[in-house]
Amino acid sequence: MKLSNHLRENLRRLRAVYSDCADVVFHDMVIGGHTPAMLVYIEGLIRLEELDQHVVAPLRDGPGPNPALQDIRNQTTVASVQTCGTIEETVEKISGGNPVLLVEGQNAALVFGLSSWEQRSVEEPTAESVLRGPREGFIETMRTNIAMLRRKIRSPKLKVVTLHIGTCSRTPVAVIYIEGIAQPSLVREIMSRLNRIEIEDVLETSYIEEWIEDNRYSPFPQLLSTERPDVASAYLMEGRVVVMVDGTPTVLIAPTTFFSLLQTPEDYYERYVVGTAIRWLRYFFLAISLLGPSLYVAVVTFHQEMIPTTLMLTMARSREQIPFSALMEAILMETMFEALREAGARLPKQIGSAVSIVGALVIGQAAISAGIVSAPMVMVVAITGIASFMAPRFTIGIPIRLLRFPIMFLAGMMGLLGMILGVIIILNHMLNLRSFGVPYMSPLAPMKNSGLKDVLWRAPRWMLNRRGKR
Amino acid sequence: MIEKGKISALQMGKMIYLAITPTAILTASGISFNFARQDLWLSPVWAFSGVIAVPVVLGLNRMFPDRSVVQTLRDTVGRLPGWVIGGALWLYYLYISGIVLREYGEFVVGAFLSDTPLIVVLGSLVLVCALAVRGGVEIVGRFADLFLPAFLLLFLLIVLLIIPDLHITYMMPILGDGILPSMKGSLVLQIWFGELSIAWFFLPHVSDRENAKKSLWITFGAIILTLVLSNLVTLLLLGELTGGYSFPFLILARYIDLAEFFAHLEALFMAIWVLGAFVKICVFFYITVIGAAEWMNLADYRPIVFPVALLLTLFGVWVAANYQEMTHTISTSLIPLSFTMFIVLPALIYAIARIRRPGSGNRYSSGRTRK
Repeated sequence: MKLSNHLRENLRRLRAVYSDCADVVFHDMVIGGHTPAMLVYIEGLIRLEELDQHVVAPLRDGPGPNPALQDIRNQTTVASVQTCGTIEETVEKISGGNPVLLVEGQNAALVFGLSSWEQRSVEEPTAESVLRGPREGFIETMRTNIAMLRRKIRSPKLKVVTLHIGTCSRTPVAVIYIEGIAQPSLVREIMSRLNRIEIEDVLETSYIEEWIEDNRYSPFPQLLSTERPDVASAYLMEGRVVVMVDGTPTVLIAPTTFFSLLQTPEDYYERYVVGTAIRWLRYFFLAISLLGPSLYVAVVTFHQEMIPTTLMLTMARSREQIPFSALMEAILMETMFEALREAGARLPKQIGSAVSIVGALVIGQAAISAGIVSAPMVMVVAITGIASFMAPRFTIGIPIRLLRFPIMFLAGMMGLLGMILGVIIILNHMLNLRSFGVPYMSPLAPMKNSGLKDVLWRAPRWMLNRRGKR
Repeated sequence: MIEKGKISALQMGKMIYLAITPTAILTASGISFNFARQDLWLSPVWAFSGVIAVPVVLGLNRMFPDRSVVQTLRDTVGRLPGWVIGGALWLYYLYISGIVLREYGEFVVGAFLSDTPLIVVLGSLVLVCALAVRGGVEIVGRFADLFLPAFLLLFLLIVLLIIPDLHITYMMPILGDGILPSMKGSLVLQIWFGELSIAWFFLPHVSDRENAKKSLWITFGAIILTLVLSNLVTLLLLGELTGGYSFPFLILARYIDLAEFFAHLEALFMAIWVLGAFVKICVFFYITVIGAAEWMNLADYRPIVFPVALLLTLFGVWVAANYQEMTHTISTSLIPLSFTMFIVLPALIYAIARIRRPGSGNRYSSGRTRK
């Protein structure tokens, strides 16, 4: 609906929209001593002092009688002033934290870019800390986050397209890419998927993640989420697209492959030999965290000959008293471990340590001496637990943790063969997955030689032509 | 063509390598030994079927670049004969898949899960294969990408670890009875080398067709090399005993004992070998499914994957009463049968196509080219 020429009419509509909104302030004023005007803003979302100094004060003794909107605008000393002509737009601006000035006799309103609110200072993200490298992390304010990216990539080619998602929350969402590096078709695809979202509110990037990913039933994350500006800019330089949501420090990166979920920024900040070694260590322990307990179950139940004799005897001795089968024991202990971990994560820090002490005592010492579980089993569970902490991103660790259980069952039924079949089923799913058209397991399958130097090892920087990489 | 997926020439090569070597390493050496004796290692060199199969399928693909096998059959010999031959072809592939599956099942049951019913072992693998086959040629190709390195690494590891225990005298006298024994020993291998003609089914889906020729010949060479190596180490370790084992190469894995810790690698061997066998069965299963779907003029092959899977499991049980009977079949009647279907049939089709349209033109333009 268009704004009317009459201030009273506009105010009536705005008041109706903002009925029962105690935090919306309607500030009466008279421009230059003759023109009535109304300043509308939301308390706490604006810089009140600057509004006083740069808008209210200059306008009090402002332009002469019957001023044009441009005259009023020139009178203020605010850098960012926009005009808007409809009620809807005005409401959106006010709700977004911008003070709006409505003037008698004008069918347009002035919007001052003076929004500001309490925000967390830029800190190191706790989930993705590094020993070497930048320590800043994204915060809850999108404006600041975009500025952080712009500071890293100071090129006009860095494009930021914003849109609003959420019929109720109207959350600003930004799609960020580098023109000339990112495929235009990819950007179009992401925009069209974002536009298809029908949702009331967006509180976190995961809200839109579940809407735009390719396979909505997969346990695997198909978009990479990070809190680090350096990670986001590195992926931008590879031609990927960043999706940012106001109100959360986590941004999404698309497309994502399985192997990019297994990389950390430090792989690139450390020397390449170290980076390569750590990467292989990570792959190995990822396999352990998926297969550790099932391997133990399979070997103990079906393939005892694989274990050297002396070790076998020791294990047999410790298992002598145990009432459970290896499979039962493994499932019991793994479930216990997962429960402990979840309990520890949700508790306040002061009590959290109590859980780990009790847990260590219960599932460790007491269970063994009571003869309920065997010592090797506790070791296997502990090693698996450590291995699962090695997943560099929390999102990729979760499916691995979950899939451990069905594979344990298969190992208990058919030994190594069952494990293999289970792994093949998982791989089959992963090979079928795509993230915005990019096969999830690339560059390993389908194999792409140019990409392998960043998967099988971390090639030295002068060999990494990042732009050719997918 | 109802398959829309694309693979690279390299992927095709890997698929074919994994579609031939796993069972050849495991079962062929025992059968060959009975003819070739100490020249066992020489037998894979006489790979005549491969020498015929590769140029024939390449030629066929040159004449019908974007036509599937069943379409090619119809284009060359007419609708009804094409339909008959197409039916025979996919039924033959069903039978061969059954044999491959049974080889896998006998290996797993015989060497590891002796108390598990055969049908469970066969059924579980077929089920997993069916999931992969439903993904189409792209997924099978990616599995080949993924599993080939593991398979090769394990193979080379076993060969490397066994070297200290080899007796070079077991291969003497080289060509002691002339060239004939080794050639007789290679007779059974012609089944495996004939399998190179499965490339016929994959070539239309290769995106970089110009590399296909190179890829196929390299694959062919790699298969010969692998078999020579595996037969050589088997012979040099087991000598006269080679013929007595069902799975001589498994004995090698069992024999390895390094520092008391690297002992009894057979479970690991089985694990990796199953990965190879999985790709092998997937490839033959896929060909059966795609052949049947095109033969029945279906718009999509996915609906018949699970029915064919059931059929395949049954064929795995039906092909033979026991392992001895199956090796007997492989070393006798299967040789002429597979020679006919793998070599003679494509060669004949190629000859007919050439005669009806002399000169290797690009596209076979017959008035009857329909879907």
